[in-house]
Amino acid sequence: MDTGEQESNGAPMLQARGVEVEIAGTPILHGADLRVERGELVAVVGPNGAGKSTLVRAVSGLQRLAAGAALWSGRSVEEMRGRELARARAFVPQRMPVPAGVTVREAVTIGRSSHLRPLRRLSDADRGGIEEAMERARVTRFAERSLRTLSGGELQRVQIAIGLAQEAPVLIADEPTSQLDLGATIAIASLLRDLVSDGLTVILVVHDLALAAAVADTAVIVSRGRTIAAGRPTDVLNSERLAETWGADARLTEHGGRTALHVAWTGLTDRGGDEAS
Amino acid sequence: MARRTLVFAGLSAALALAVVTSLAFGAVAVPLGETIEILLGNGGGGPHQQIVETLRLPRTVEAMVVGAALGIAGAILQGALANPLASPDVIGVTGGAGFGAILIIILFPGSIALLPVGALAFGLLAAALVFSIAWSGANRGSTGKVILAGIAILSLFTAATTGLLAAYPERAPSAIFFIAGGLTSSGWDEMATIWPYFAAGFLCAALLIRPLDRLALGDDVSASLGSRPHLIRLGAAVAAALLAAASAAIAGLLGFLGLVVPHVVRMAGGTSSHTFVVPASAIGGAALLAAGGTLARTLRAPIEMPVGPFMVVLGVPLFLWLLRKVV
Amino acid sequence: MRRAVLAAIVAALLCITSAAQAKPPRIVALTPFGANTLVKLGVEPVGIGQTLGGQERFSPKLKDVTVLPLSHPNGPNLEQLASLDPDLVLSSPTWAKGNESMGDLGIRVLVREPRKVAESYSQTLAIGRLVDRRKRAEALVKSMKEGVAQARKGIERHPSVMLILGVGRTPFVFLPNSWGGDVVTKAGGQLLTGGVESSSGFERISDEVVVAEDPDVIVAVPHANEEDIPSLTEYLRTNPAWATTSAVRNGRIHISVDNSLLQAGTDVARTIRKVRRLYLEN
Repeated sequence: MDTGEQESNGAPMLQARGVEVEIAGTPILHGADLRVERGELVAVVGPNGAGKSTLVRAVSGLQRLAAGAALWSGRSVEEMRGRELARARAFVPQRMPVPAGVTVREAVTIGRSSHLRPLRRLSDADRGGIEEAMERARVTRFAERSLRTLSGGELQRVQIAIGLAQEAPVLIADEPTSQLDLGATIAIASLLRDLVSDGLTVILVVHDLALAAAVADTAVIVSRGRTIAAGRPTDVLNSERLAETWGADARLTEHGGRTALHVAWTGLTDRGGDEAS
Repeated sequence: MARRTLVFAGLSAALALAVVTSLAFGAVAVPLGETIEILLGNGGGGPHQQIVETLRLPRTVEAMVVGAALGIAGAILQGALANPLASPDVIGVTGGAGFGAILIIILFPGSIALLPVGALAFGLLAAALVFSIAWSGANRGSTGKVILAGIAILSLFTAATTGLLAAYPERAPSAIFFIAGGLTSSGWDEMATIWPYFAAGFLCAALLIRPLDRLALGDDVSASLGSRPHLIRLGAAVAAALLAAASAAIAGLLGFLGLVVPHVVRMAGGTSSHTFVVPASAIGGAALLAAGGTLARTLRAPIEMPVGPFMVVLGVPLFLWLLRKVV
Repeated sequence: MRRAVLAAIVAALLCITSAAQAKPPRIVALTPFGANTLVKLGVEPVGIGQTLGGQERFSPKLKDVTVLPLSHPNGPNLEQLASLDPDLVLSSPTWAKGNESMGDLGIRVLVREPRKVAESYSQTLAIGRLVDRRKRAEALVKSMKEGVAQARKGIERHPSVMLILGVGRTPFVFLPNSWGGDVVTKAGGQLLTGGVESSSGFERISDEVVVAEDPDVIVAVPHANEEDIPSLTEYLRTNPAWATTSAVRNGRIHISVDNSLLQAGTDVARTIRKVRRLYLEN
């Protein structure tokens, strides 16, 4: 059976079907699907508590699957361990704990450690990989700074660098911009888009629907533990869907390179109505 | 990087000094030249040779091994549990070992030769109890659960120990020597029985350094890198239990070392990276215990005092000074 | 006739008062020294104290006396003690807290535990005075002194002795101001102390001093049983730290499990003879 090192253009990087997850006895996902093609940026969106984070964590192997399967280039996540798992995907959490006295370079080196056998030293190839990861994530200029001195946006880019050091073909980012200001969000968004242009596949869990529409090739909507739609963002995030899933009277538009979400903030107007915002 | 190298150099120098003074000084004055001759194998027989070879040398080595073991145990527990107050006491080992030793001293004094075995067995039993509680049910392996289970088991064994001491007060003075900590003078006997546990503990700890650095970046990043966070914590707890139980078996209860040395080392080096903290804690712990042991033996010679208080006397001022400087 | 009746009444009154005076005081003895001394003076205590797991040696005449278990920190259970309605308690400094509480309960307490052979004479006399057996006490002390003098006759050698208490190979030595230390000294032994002094009568000295001072005899007083003696002797003999001492090389290692060296007893002469015969061989 192919270990997944060569995939034909048609095979997806990730194929997850019927994923069910229980946390502390409570069912969170009741059969969700996720399909990610090579070289695309997939945005996973949905209301709070829908199960977006749970879905990407489960398919990444961070959460046990109660049922269903997640195949990375044909290989089941449940069968993968250690180095093999680290090379299949890199998971970047929303916020990692920041230890004292650790520099950016040291943190990225830890990310690289997935390549190392126990008690072996870093090779030149490893050092090169670390430099490259930092460059791609645009954090080289503060490589020697302590993690605790970084701003939110800078730290998020370092987290991405740690993920890149794994040299996995897929990067999963769980709400990287939810706590960042506009400028930092734009920086992350453009970084992710550039990484995808370079060949990386990205799965992005995101709140901000306008952002999702701007960066994603595909949007997957998760609601109440199920995936209810997948497709081009502007197709999938139509007003009807926005009303049904988010309970919002809203419209997503795209114009001149900018995306915008127009929202009736103070409540739903008549469903069939055509009120301009 | 330079700061860390400096700290390593300083710690190594302190260790070298501690070892030299431990070999050179004791209740009986042996001229330094003679000590060197004896160590080189040219002793001429006689009490001085016996003193250096059978008393001071094994004690010095024991102090280094136990000091390193406790320093490492504290460092890996603090890393694994992400809690600065973690120490071998927290996983119940010291309480169990104390109980095991006092049990033998008080109830089975005829089997006193088994004291290290009793301490080791009960130390590991206490740790096993803590693990089985902490790794069951909801939130298995979480830091909070480990610490709470540790406190409960520690309290249990401490109460049992106190009960024994209260019931047999005339046997209590013998027990004090164990509780307050003391390096034995039984040549290589005890180390010969206990060394495998140290070896296993040191090996596990070495293999855990990188996984602990990953754990420091959070459970999610660790999982991303292919590690399993709760297994790392379990492994660290097991390694710490082995090292702490073996230490208690031959040197009594010296939990303070495991708590304070990693902090001193972190503050001095300015980093929490385990590739630095674990080896540095080993060297620092060895130096501290060797120095404390020498002081305990020589300050009121020929009276031999327990080591525990001396380590505190040496360690706490350093700790406080660093605290003021760094924080 | 009236004179005869008056004389009879006076005689009867005298009989009653002297009978009242002859009523023995109720004494509880918490130490074996106190208990055995009372017995030797012809007074039976109403209660004796025994520590848990202790090896106190009591006169066979005390076998029917109520036993009060002793434990830290009070010694006897104070309610049990009070129920015996004692007039006097002979106690030891070990139960300092309990002694204070007994005083608060209005019980008269005398803290008496000889730490030297000479003290056992003076304290025997003191107990004799308390129970109004002065003459018997004096005679007892006289025979004790004679017995001790006899036991000490003809001491030829004064071997150096390391007398240790308690745990295994730890050199926690008896000093001359401890009961056991004084007894061994009286038996002709020279205590190995490293020149140390302590008010408690015991001190932990360094093994280096033991090696340097090279004792001829090692006597250990552990809290153990007869059947443990062989294994404990072997354990001490194989202590690498003491391998070069004369005691180990000549196999002169002894274990004492009764508490004759730990607590004052009334049969000092016998203890001295035993120490000379078995341990010091002098």
